[in-house]
Amino acid sequence: MTDGPFAVSNINVTASSAAANRPAQTSIHLEGSAKETLEMGRNRLVIAAVLFFFCFVVLAGRLVGLAISGIGEDPVAAAEPEALPVAVEQPGSRSEIYDRNGVLLATTLDTYSLHADPTKIIDAEQAVRQLRTVLSDLGEATALAKLSSQRNFVWLKRHLTPGQQQQINNLGIPGLFFKKEEKRFYPLGQLAAHVIGYTDIDNNGIAGVEKSFDGQLSGKEGTTRKPLQLALDVRVQHALRDELTRFMSAFRAIGGAGMVMDIKTGEVIAMSSLPDFDPNRPKDFPKDNKFNKTTLGVYEMGSTFKTFTTAMALEFRSVSLRDGYDATNPIRIAGFRIRDDHPKKRWLSVPEIFMYSSNIGTAKMAEAIGPKRHKAFLRKLGLLDKPVIELPEVGAPILPPRWNRLETMTISYGHGLSVSPLQLSAAIGAIVNEGNYVNPTLLRRETGSEIEQKRVIREQVSTVVRRLMRLVVEKGTGKKAAAEGYLVGGKTGTAEKAVNGRYKRDALITSFVSAFPMHEPRYVVLAMLDEPKGNSSTFGFRGAGWTTAPIVSRLVSRIAPILGIAPVDEESPSIQKALHIPIYSREKKHETF
Amino acid sequence: MKLNLSILIAVVVAVVSYGLYQLSYEVQKLEKDLKQLNANIAGNQEAIRVLKAEWAYVNRPEKLQELATKHLPLLLVAPYQVAELDELPARAANPFVQEVTTIPLPRKKPRMRRGPASPPVSGPVHMATFKKASKERIVK
Repeated sequence: MTDGPFAVSNINVTASSAAANRPAQTSIHLEGSAKETLEMGRNRLVIAAVLFFFCFVVLAGRLVGLAISGIGEDPVAAAEPEALPVAVEQPGSRSEIYDRNGVLLATTLDTYSLHADPTKIIDAEQAVRQLRTVLSDLGEATALAKLSSQRNFVWLKRHLTPGQQQQINNLGIPGLFFKKEEKRFYPLGQLAAHVIGYTDIDNNGIAGVEKSFDGQLSGKEGTTRKPLQLALDVRVQHALRDELTRFMSAFRAIGGAGMVMDIKTGEVIAMSSLPDFDPNRPKDFPKDNKFNKTTLGVYEMGSTFKTFTTAMALEFRSVSLRDGYDATNPIRIAGFRIRDDHPKKRWLSVPEIFMYSSNIGTAKMAEAIGPKRHKAFLRKLGLLDKPVIELPEVGAPILPPRWNRLETMTISYGHGLSVSPLQLSAAIGAIVNEGNYVNPTLLRRETGSEIEQKRVIREQVSTVVRRLMRLVVEKGTGKKAAAEGYLVGGKTGTAEKAVNGRYKRDALITSFVSAFPMHEPRYVVLAMLDEPKGNSSTFGFRGAGWTTAPIVSRLVSRIAPILGIAPVDEESPSIQKALHIPIYSREKKHETF
Repeated sequence: MKLNLSILIAVVVAVVSYGLYQLSYEVQKLEKDLKQLNANIAGNQEAIRVLKAEWAYVNRPEKLQELATKHLPLLLVAPYQVAELDELPARAANPFVQEVTTIPLPRKKPRMRRGPASPPVSGPVHMATFKKASKERIVK
């Protein structure tokens, strides 16, 4: 092995003689069973080698595959980047509700509920003592009983605020746990409770727009989840609720309702019904508070209906402004007596009938039209059908069983037909909006979107009725509704409440329906009080002119700047001319010497 | 030759597997980061929602009215208090300013003659003057 050439030659020899040697090697012939055994062994080896080879190939392939694609346990992580922008738009499991200016009305928050495993609590008494430093309303005895029990799960407090959760976490008591839950939260509380409605414990809408738009808000039943924007303006809503509350307590009324509506678009800017409730804890309020007087309640609206009767008479050209009726004596018909609340005992012209709210004159006006046309006219104004609005709580009007001469005469001044304040507002809106009826809506309309209109009266009649309504506030029964600069026009309505089929003389529903600014009306304002009582400031009177007209006055002064209505000089010649109306009175002027 | 090939294959296998494992760990780390980030985003969104709700709550009109009646001498807006921008009169010239040159001229510069006496400032407009800071201020 020391000399290389030998080795080389040796190899060479081997290489050159390989061919010669091989036959010599293979010349060992094995025969019989020995050969078979060898063959079998070789075959087995080959099979095993192939098997192992495949296994390793598979393993290697899997290894490469895993290294490239990951372990495959995180398909979510790969899909999430696409889902993220959607998640940004729609946090929470139920969408928000906004007002027309984007003020948050309802949202869904994650809250944490505190539960405990009593078997893991070391010192129950100390734990309760510590907990009570954060949760002062936690009952000591019940909490102690819960924490000392033998169960391994007890609820301690549902829906903690984030602050409380942090504080409890900081206490570091072992055995306490938090569970994430969702809760619907209404930051504005009672403000628009009846419109927004509320949800049950599982976040299903059960009242208000929460119910009517449940699909859109929750994304159930294949609808895409989307926030809701209402037509409400919380500033106006607050002004309305504030004034209603103020006058309700001043006149010790048992309830109140009001709404502000844009007559051009039909958007309901504010809608309130009192007493109301807090949608954050609807269970704490009696059922009566949840009754929406504005849409669900139907009332005999009283003299506000004279607006429709007058408009109808003018529309059918049954009377002109110069004409009038004798209102000296009450009408006796079918055992009823129709008399005036503010009797003038003389012939009254049409403007006078309206401005002094004469029942006799209005009844005669309607009688001249006849029941059939009267009914058709009111139907056109949407007063005889259930109104359509995005709320589940909508009341159908109560029509008289028969509609004959007597009914036409009583309905002409608002008795015998019960409608909701919503219907009344929409109908008045149609009368002053150049005779175009626009269906009220709770949803915000985009500016410039097409609005469905329905003509109910001629434009000229609308102009005349506007002036008549302005006359009522200027010189008639609604003087207290005047809001300087905003040209309020309206009509008072005082009706006795029907209880068990009889009119209760001492229980009134007073309402005032108005529009402003009267030279080009934009908003309808309605205020209604349930059973107001007179006080010293009204000299004991409790009619609409004394109790509800001042609400409108204050309300309009408050909301007009918010709604962008510029005040005008009421004495200016152009305004005077635009709202001038001849009265054609035949009152005898007493000469004084 | 055979040996070389084996070594080469061994090296390649080692390098490739190292690279693959490295890649795999990196991917795992990134996925963990992504998870963390998504959790953070969700947490922040929730926090924003809580803050928005709180903002709406503290800004509710009821509360604002209470604060306004307490701290501000405001009543209902009377019609004469409402005006549009166009109705504002053009701003009148300040009667105290006689010349344009009276405004901000540095007077205490060395070798500069004292300019005209400063205009009597009693109106709403106070002219900028170039006064030397008082000594007390400098001490402070």
